[in-house]
Amino acid sequence: MPDPKRPLLDPAVLAKLGTLKLRVRAVTEGILSGLHKSPHHGQSVEFAEHKEYSPGDEIRHIDWKAYGKFDKYYVKRFEQETNLRAYLVVDASGSMGYRGAPERLTKLEYASSLAASLGYLLVRQQDAAGLVLVQGHVAGAIPPRASASHLGPVVEALEAAKPEGETRLAAAVDWVIEHAPRRSSVIVFSDLFDRDDRIVKKLAQLGRRKHEVTIFHVLDPAELEFPFDDPTLFLSMEDERQVEAHGRDVRKGYLEVMQRWLEETKRTAAEADVDYALCRTDRPLDEVILPFLARRERSAA
Amino acid sequence: MNIGFLNPALLWGLLAAAIPVAIHLFFRRRPRPTPFPAIDFILRARRETQRRLRIRKVLLFTARTLLLAAAALAIARPRAERPGEAAAAIAVGPRATAIVLDASGSMRYRLDGRALFERARADALGALAALGPDEPATAVVCGADTPAAEPPGFDRGAVRRVLEGAEVWAGHADLTACVGAAVRALASSEAQARLAKHVVVATDLTASAWRLDVPPPAIEGPEGRVLPEVTVQDAARGAPLPNLAVVALDAEPDPAAGPRGYRITAAVSSAAGEARKDVSLQLSAGAGPGAKTAIRAFVDLPAGGTVRKALSYAFPQGGPAVLQVALPEDSLAMDDARALALVVPREVRALVVDGAPSPVRYRDEAYFVESALASPASPVRPTLVDAEALAGEDLAKYDVVFLLNVRSVGAKAAELERFVENGGGLFLSVGDEVDPEAYGRELGKLLPMPLHVVKTAANPGDGSARAARFADVAWDHPALSVFTGDAREGLLGVRTFRYVLAKPSQKGAPATVLASFDDGAPALVEGRRGKGRVLLFTSSADRDWTDWPIRTSFLPAMQRFAGFLAGALEERHDRALVVGAQRTIRLEPGERLVSLLGPDGRERGEAELERMGLGEGDDGGLVVTPREPGLWQVKVQAEGRGERVEPRLAFSVSPDPRESDTRRLAPDELTAYFGGASHAKVEGDAQAVGGGRSIPLWSILLVLAVAAFFLEGLLIA
Repeated sequence: MPDPKRPLLDPAVLAKLGTLKLRVRAVTEGILSGLHKSPHHGQSVEFAEHKEYSPGDEIRHIDWKAYGKFDKYYVKRFEQETNLRAYLVVDASGSMGYRGAPERLTKLEYASSLAASLGYLLVRQQDAAGLVLVQGHVAGAIPPRASASHLGPVVEALEAAKPEGETRLAAAVDWVIEHAPRRSSVIVFSDLFDRDDRIVKKLAQLGRRKHEVTIFHVLDPAELEFPFDDPTLFLSMEDERQVEAHGRDVRKGYLEVMQRWLEETKRTAAEADVDYALCRTDRPLDEVILPFLARRERSAA
Repeated sequence: MNIGFLNPALLWGLLAAAIPVAIHLFFRRRPRPTPFPAIDFILRARRETQRRLRIRKVLLFTARTLLLAAAALAIARPRAERPGEAAAAIAVGPRATAIVLDASGSMRYRLDGRALFERARADALGALAALGPDEPATAVVCGADTPAAEPPGFDRGAVRRVLEGAEVWAGHADLTACVGAAVRALASSEAQARLAKHVVVATDLTASAWRLDVPPPAIEGPEGRVLPEVTVQDAARGAPLPNLAVVALDAEPDPAAGPRGYRITAAVSSAAGEARKDVSLQLSAGAGPGAKTAIRAFVDLPAGGTVRKALSYAFPQGGPAVLQVALPEDSLAMDDARALALVVPREVRALVVDGAPSPVRYRDEAYFVESALASPASPVRPTLVDAEALAGEDLAKYDVVFLLNVRSVGAKAAELERFVENGGGLFLSVGDEVDPEAYGRELGKLLPMPLHVVKTAANPGDGSARAARFADVAWDHPALSVFTGDAREGLLGVRTFRYVLAKPSQKGAPATVLASFDDGAPALVEGRRGKGRVLLFTSSADRDWTDWPIRTSFLPAMQRFAGFLAGALEERHDRALVVGAQRTIRLEPGERLVSLLGPDGRERGEAELERMGLGEGDDGGLVVTPREPGLWQVKVQAEGRGERVEPRLAFSVSPDPRESDTRRLAPDELTAYFGGASHAKVEGDAQAVGGGRSIPLWSILLVLAVAAFFLEGLLIA
């Protein structure tokens, strides 16, 4: 059911938009129209506060007008300039091509919309955004840049990505460690159906290298609720495996296993100080992006 | 411990237990291929729940199969039988066996959809099959025919044919006599004198089939009387046999019910263990498809008692008619209805000729006669004319002519003679206007007795002491048979003061005196002339000479006289023609019997009629012995006319009331009669004393099926 106030943010509406560009535009416009009192008012030129002068402070920052008024030296302090470098790691493995209902976005489409929208928002506030596409290996990478023209190739690369190969986020971790020389923000969009059970811990390794890691755990509602009642031949989307099961018979066990796995993933992320957000592909994108931005704002403050 | 089945044929139902397997094998749904990313989780979940699922599946399968199998087995009514001590006491060894199969009417009782006779036949055939090769056997079918049996032999095929060919009939059978015949047959073969004797009786244990007040059958041997071993196979398996039956049906004319009104009395009996209220009783009139329901009534029946229900019904027209009283059909259908064929008096057209009219009505000669004939319930339609008008009347329009104190009929005498010769009726009464001698000259050929002189017994004013009274009344005459019991007083109390003496009748013109006065003078004389009848009353039809017109007997007597003279009194009742009794069919000259239509509507032709014992009766009629209860109709062929069902010949046959009494003997009573538990046992009865004790497994199976049903529901949930 689309939200009547923000129709363009509903995944069902987005799914009808043909290209990722249109989706990104819809999402970002939707988000920006909602940010009436945006916390992103100050760049490096914004004044923040006065501080009484002490030896060692820059003399050029002394506010002479204040000296005239108060006969004391006050130093102007500004918002610290942060030129954030963000790596948008998008999992484009075969499993990301799943959608539980035809009217929904695939997980990859949802992840791409999320990544592209975030990329736009980052670039808009002078941060640099890059892209890492993972399909068993790093299938494509665009280094982070803070120019608006840079966003075009990012969106095009995301749009061109076809879900294939197996999930192996470790390749992305290795790539980021190798190519990110300084502190960066690594935002991972994946279903985490990785052969490696300890993939969250692996991602947490980036944190130890001073990178800020955020995981957007993208899952389809069908994966969370398992709405199968009949005898079904389940086919793996990443390899040749298949399993025949009666949906009704295995649902309870499946949901238990899934619940355990989600809790463990969340706990592991929390322990490793990795920001984690579970994203159902039937939820509006702003419900994912806005809390993320708010968290970032809080952590920046 | 033996397992037996009451309905072994229903064991086919066990195949239903294969339905779950068949569905699993042949109707298994093909799984739909569906790409799914979290296949690892399904695999993990399956690994964790596989064992539990497999157990659940097996349980589900078992529950479904058990549900169907238990239900099918329960329907087949299995019983576990433990042979008791009596069975053990019976000697084992070669025995000469006589099998008695009860084919009486009560064996038509249907229990659980199957006739007891079929069960008994199966029991008898089972007993035959259980005999060893060195055991000779014979069979007695205890039904319509006199019980007789061949000496035991080794030709099992012949015995089986006797049992398989036996047919249950609707009448009574004396099982005591049949067992006696079987024992005599066992004793008749000297070659088998050393063999033990065994009688198997396959019956329903109804008490009416046995006579336990006669000595039990025994075999006279060199060592004295020896009681044979008797095994009674209870076809009802201990179940009670409640039965409602119409055991009697009668119909009597009931003037209160209007012209052609009848009072129909049905006796309904209950052989049920409990009283029944508001049992529907239906009276229908007519036969075959044309029958229509006339009355619906209800009766309350006491347990094991009989009630009589009276119903009034007026037939719309006279002539042959059929009545049937029916209860709702129960397990013994043959006695749920009874039919009655009768001839309803048709309307009589009477010409009343008033010989002494008077403007004062009660002094009019014809006043009382006309009033009696025209009463509301009367089947007679009188037309009153005076003597002068008689000449202008066309007698052909009437059935009866009443000449009441008519001085002279003049030229009409010849026409009156022809009228009587051709079947008309003539009633003559005398009075002051009649001159006996002139009457003799004018109506001499019609008078049953020539009139002589008038005798005055007393004057009406002198009191009744010397008045003449009726004596020697022919009460069984159709015209007077309605006077029974106290009603006869109404006739015997009549005082007659004056009457005409009659001379003895002439030769060739016999007369019957139906009533005479106490001095011996004829009072009421019947004569026949050609096809017609003449009744002469030697006194007056008004109060001048007698006080009969003001007596209660006058009205019915006049109506009966009119009916009798018109030949409309031939009421016929099928009283107590029981199944197996001979029926005489009286055909009119020129008629030929073609066939009989049975109660089932099937036509019995010549061959079947011969099997029914068709033959000439002693009194000229045809006799036949119908063996099915219900209404039988007769198809005849008359000269110059085609074949037709003749309603006047229809007759009804009733089942034997003894067979409607389905109360059962206690098994110990029967075993005691045959010499106690060491000589006799009753099989197939849960309450059998000293016999096998059986456990009704079907109830356990039903409980099992219900449990399986709930388990299945639980597993699915």
